[in-house]
This record gives sequence, C-alpha cells and structure tokens, in this order.
Amino acid sequence: MVQDILPPEARQAVEKLRRADIVIGIPSYNNGRTIGHVVRAAQAGLNKYFPEFQGVIINSDGGSRDDTRKQVLEAQLDPSQLLLLSTPLNPVHRLSFPYHGIPGKGSAFRMIFQMAHDLGAKACAVVDSDLRSITPEWFDLLLRPVLHRGYDFVAPYYHRHKYDGTITNSIIYPLTRSLYGHRIRQPIGGDFGMSLPVIETYLKRTDWETDVARYGIDIWMTTIAVASGYKVCQSFLGAKLHDAKDPGADLSAMLQQVVGSVFSLMIEFRDVWMRVQGSRDIELFGFRYDVGLDPIAVNLDRMIQAFIRGESDLREIWSMALSDRTLRELAALAQSARPAPADQFRLPDELWVNVIHEFASAFAELPAARSHLVRSLTPLYLGRVASFVNETRDMNASEVEDRIEQLCLAFERLKPFLVERWGGPRVDEFPPQPAAAPGRTQEVTS
Amino acid sequence: MIETFRQVLEQSVARLSAQATQFLPPLFVAIVVFGVAWLVALLVRWLLLHAFKGERFDAFLRKTGIGAMLDHSGRLRASPLLAHGIYYAILLTGLLNAISVFETDITREIVDGVVHLLPKLFAAAAIIVAGIWLAQYLGRGALLWASNEGFSWARRFCAFVRVVVVFVSIVVAADVLNFARTVFFSAFLIFTIGAVFAACLVLALNHREVYRWFAGARRPGSEQEDERSLWQHL
Repeated sequence: MVQDILPPEARQAVEKLRRADIVIGIPSYNNGRTIGHVVRAAQAGLNKYFPEFQGVIINSDGGSRDDTRKQVLEAQLDPSQLLLLSTPLNPVHRLSFPYHGIPGKGSAFRMIFQMAHDLGAKACAVVDSDLRSITPEWFDLLLRPVLHRGYDFVAPYYHRHKYDGTITNSIIYPLTRSLYGHRIRQPIGGDFGMSLPVIETYLKRTDWETDVARYGIDIWMTTIAVASGYKVCQSFLGAKLHDAKDPGADLSAMLQQVVGSVFSLMIEFRDVWMRVQGSRDIELFGFRYDVGLDPIAVNLDRMIQAFIRGESDLREIWSMALSDRTLRELAALAQSARPAPADQFRLPDELWVNVIHEFASAFAELPAARSHLVRSLTPLYLGRVASFVNETRDMNASEVEDRIEQLCLAFERLKPFLVERWGGPRVDEFPPQPAAAPGRTQEVTS
Repeated sequence: MIETFRQVLEQSVARLSAQATQFLPPLFVAIVVFGVAWLVALLVRWLLLHAFKGERFDAFLRKTGIGAMLDHSGRLRASPLLAHGIYYAILLTGLLNAISVFETDITREIVDGVVHLLPKLFAAAAIIVAGIWLAQYLGRGALLWASNEGFSWARRFCAFVRVVVVFVSIVVAADVLNFARTVFFSAFLIFTIGAVFAACLVLALNHREVYRWFAGARRPGSEQEDERSLWQHL
C-alpha cells in the first residue's frame, strides 16, 4: 500500500497533468546558483533523446531561502541550439514544490517518487542540483537502459579524483560489493535511473522517516534494488564535478546516516547477503573516456591526529564493537603514528575490513548503542583515508582503481568470518572460493 | 539471709522459666519458619538455575547495554540474576514471617518498617540503575561530540556529564527514600549553581576564542581552508 504524502499543490499538478512517460527529479536546498544549469540539461536531454515521450521535470525543494525555485521555473532553453533531428512532440513541464517531512535528500526523493508513481511514469531519473558537469547525455544514459533494455535500476559510473568519494571507496563500494555480489562502482553516486516497479517498491516501504530521509537514501535505493532482485546496470557519465558548497551536516552525521543505512539494510537482507559469495561485473553502458578532474586538497595531519585522538578517547565505545585483537592492533597503530611522519601512516586492509565487519555485527547486536557506534567510526574512517592518501600519492587513476580492487577482494575474502559472526555456517564449512577476477567492469556501448 | 537469697533465686528462676516458656516456642517456630523459607529459597534457586533459560531477558540485557553496565565482563545472564533475586526475596519473606511470630511491639515495628520501605527501596534502586544507564549513554554522546570536534578535554567532559547525571539520580533516589533530603538537595543546588557560574566565567573570560571557534566551526574558509568539501567524502 502506497501512502499519499503529496502536498496539496503537488497533488493538483498531478491531477492536471494526469500522465507522464518520464519524470526527472531534482532535489534542492539553496542551489540557486547551479540548479538552472541542471534543469536546462534535463530539458535538453528530454528534447534531444526522448522527443516522443511526455517528460516532466520536478524540483523537490527543502525550503530554500535563495531563488532556487524561481531558477527552476524560469530556466530557458533555446531549442535551435540543440540541432534536434526531430521536433519534440510534447512540451517539457517544469514543476517545483517544497516537500514536507524530515529535511533531507531522502524526503525530497520521496515526493518525486510519489509524483512519478501517480503520473504512471515508465522511467524516472534523479540527479543532484549542484552538478557542474552534467550534460543532456546523462539523461539518455540514465533513462534509456530502463526504457529500451528492460533494466530496473541504473547506477552512475563516473571518473572521480582519487581523493574524491572516500566513503564510497573505503566502505560503501567494497562492503556492498562483498555483501550482495554486484560490482556497482558508485552505489551512492546520487544520480540514478529507475523503473516504475522499483519506485513502487520504494514507496511501499515504511522506513522513510529514518536515516533514509537524509544521506542514507542513495545506498538505500541501490541496496533495495540489488537485494530485491531487480535488473541492475551502470552508465558511464564522465566526470562528476560538484558545487563546492558544503551541506549543513558534519562528517560524523553524514557517515552515521550512510553507514547506518548500510548496516540497517544488512539486518533486513541478512538472508540475501549471507548466501552470496564473491562478486560479478554488471553491465556498463556509455562510452568511456578520460576527463580532467578538479584537484582535491587533503589535510593528512588533521586526519591522523583525529585517528590518534579517537583511539585514546573512544576506546570505551570501540570496545563494544571491536574484538580485543582488533583493539590491540589499532592501539599499536596509534602508538606508532604519534612519533612517525604523517606520510608513513598505514592502516592495513585486513584490519580495516575487520573493523567494518565487527562494527556491522555490533550494530545488529546492540540496538541501543547504534548511533554511538556509527558516530565513533569517524576517526577510524579518517585514519583509513589518511592511509589511502599515503598509499596512492604517486599513483595514476588506473593504479588507484587496482588499489581499491585489492580492498574489495579483502572484503570478499574475509566475508565468511562476517557470515559466521551473524550466525551463518562456520568459516571452515565454506567451500573454497574461486580466484576472483579483477574487478574491472566491462565496457558496453549503448 | 539464706532464706532471702533462696527467694530471690527462686523468683529469678521462675521469671526466667516464664520468659523461656513464653519465648522459646515462638523462637523455635521462628527458626522452623526461617529454615523452611531457606530450604524453599534453595529449591527455587536450583530450579530457576536449571529450568529457566531467560533468553529474551538475556537479549534485553545485552541489547540495552544494562548487562555490560552491571557486569563489565558482559557475561551477566538472566537466570542467575533472577534466581538470586528470588532466593533473597524468599529469605527476606521468611525472615519477616519468623520475626512476626514473636508478636511484640518491636517485631511489629520492624516488619511494618520493612514492608513500607521495600517498595521505596526498589524504586530508589531502579532510579539509580536508570541514572547510571542514562549517565553512560549521555556521557558517550558527549564524548563522541567532543572527540569528533577535536577537543582535547573530551574524556573530562564525558566524566563531568556522567557525574552530573548520576548525582541527579542520587538526589531523586534520596528524595524517594526520604533520606537526607535537604542535604542532597542543597548539595545539588550548590553544585548546579557552581557549574553554571564556572561556565559563565569561562565564557566571559574567553569570549573572543569561543566566538572564533563557533564561527570557524560553522563557516567554511576560516581554519578549514585547506580541507575538502564534505560532498567529496560521499
């Protein structure tokens, strides 16, 4: 049963439009500077690649105090500049409404999904409102696999700077890959395409008022699509360049929402992931090319200091989750990091995998301490990022991918211990795993 | 002289004999009652230890963290806890029954006092346990916040929060028990006013630094110039 959460003005718009083939959703909060570009790209994408479809662009706004909504409604596109081969049969509608509920990206998506569902959309794409690198092709790549290839969920695949997306690279990608067996490289990329059945599955769920309402939404969408057995693929979108503006949340809260969502879904889909061994490539659409990327500054000393401080301050909380052995190894690492130069700091893969697995198990075991447990991961995560920065300092993009692949393989290799901890078969009862193929995704052009 | 001595001796023996005939049977009954209660308590404890698994209660203790709070090894289990609790409850009931056999003013007062005090004692104990649990929870929250903000005094702040919460729970428990109410309440007031005064003093003397920290922590570009955007973590 899908609960109706649309505000009256959005409900009126749905009743007036009655139906749409494609819905493009753009969540926003004070993105007046960049959202006009995103809306124009969406409009161009619909005109250029889907002229025969009825398209709607919906902006779901979190109460912006700038001119975000005005920018959406006034974004103009000169069709003559697009050199269209065929004239669009239908005008692209642009709508902008404030969503209700917990402020956050997830709540914004909920309103978009509800409208897409009520309009009977065949496909829906959602993109961030602060993207500087978005082009009309993104919408072709996110929507066409759904409309013409029968896929239900399209995840993005970007080129990113080696120090960009560190939560993805160090936790979310390796963990979800080892759990569910799908090599989705950007599971929290933020720009997705999906079919109506997937949207219905999302809307029927009752956990919208949790971390899902905020930053947890991306991994929630990806995990549900994968764990529910929907047909999933990836599309290569080029580079992902964001507006430099920071969101209102701090790193600890962001990490809590994203990692907390992964751990919560582990509890729900326990029967799914405990049966999975190894991982497999999933289809990648789009033509891959190299792109220039914005450099990213990192403060190594601050990250290592945060790790050392966390080790001395948060031992009490870590001890609820970590085994004595892991705690001892972390203590030794912090001890050796104090006098050593910052560029020598290393947090080994195996130790990092054990940390994540043990935190996931404690998260399931100790409901009253969940928030504390996940928030206490911040210094460990910063330590891991510092280690990654040191290890990849002189590496090119391809070598960095190989390094991330090594971490993924460590997650897969140690998964039997996680399964045993969660009440599955003992480690020695697991059949020997076949040698994992390198995790490079295959290139398939659309 | 000898006659007088004999009379006194006879009276004493008669008095002792009267007291013995008056108190010995109840004493014997009291010993029997207490002995039976002790045997029943032993039997119930043995049965509970062997028959009652209490897995749900174990899970509750584990999940809420109360088990780890009461027993740091984390091995606290429901069945021994319940078995020992009921063992002492039966012993206490037996003891009260045994005392009430004498039917004197003193024993009646003791029994009445214990019966009236017991619910209050339970309530006070529950308040203290809840207070310790809350202190642990809030202390951990404070520790996480301070540590993630990079403050060097994170653990001291955590200890302060714990002390305050435990102190508040002791004040409430003392109030429930009607035990040194004024003393605890006065101590609490002095402590609270002192803490507020100290905090105001620190803020007043360091207002520039506090403002700088507050502004720097929330505005990009001050001390975080070389730090990357939070988006880039995702």
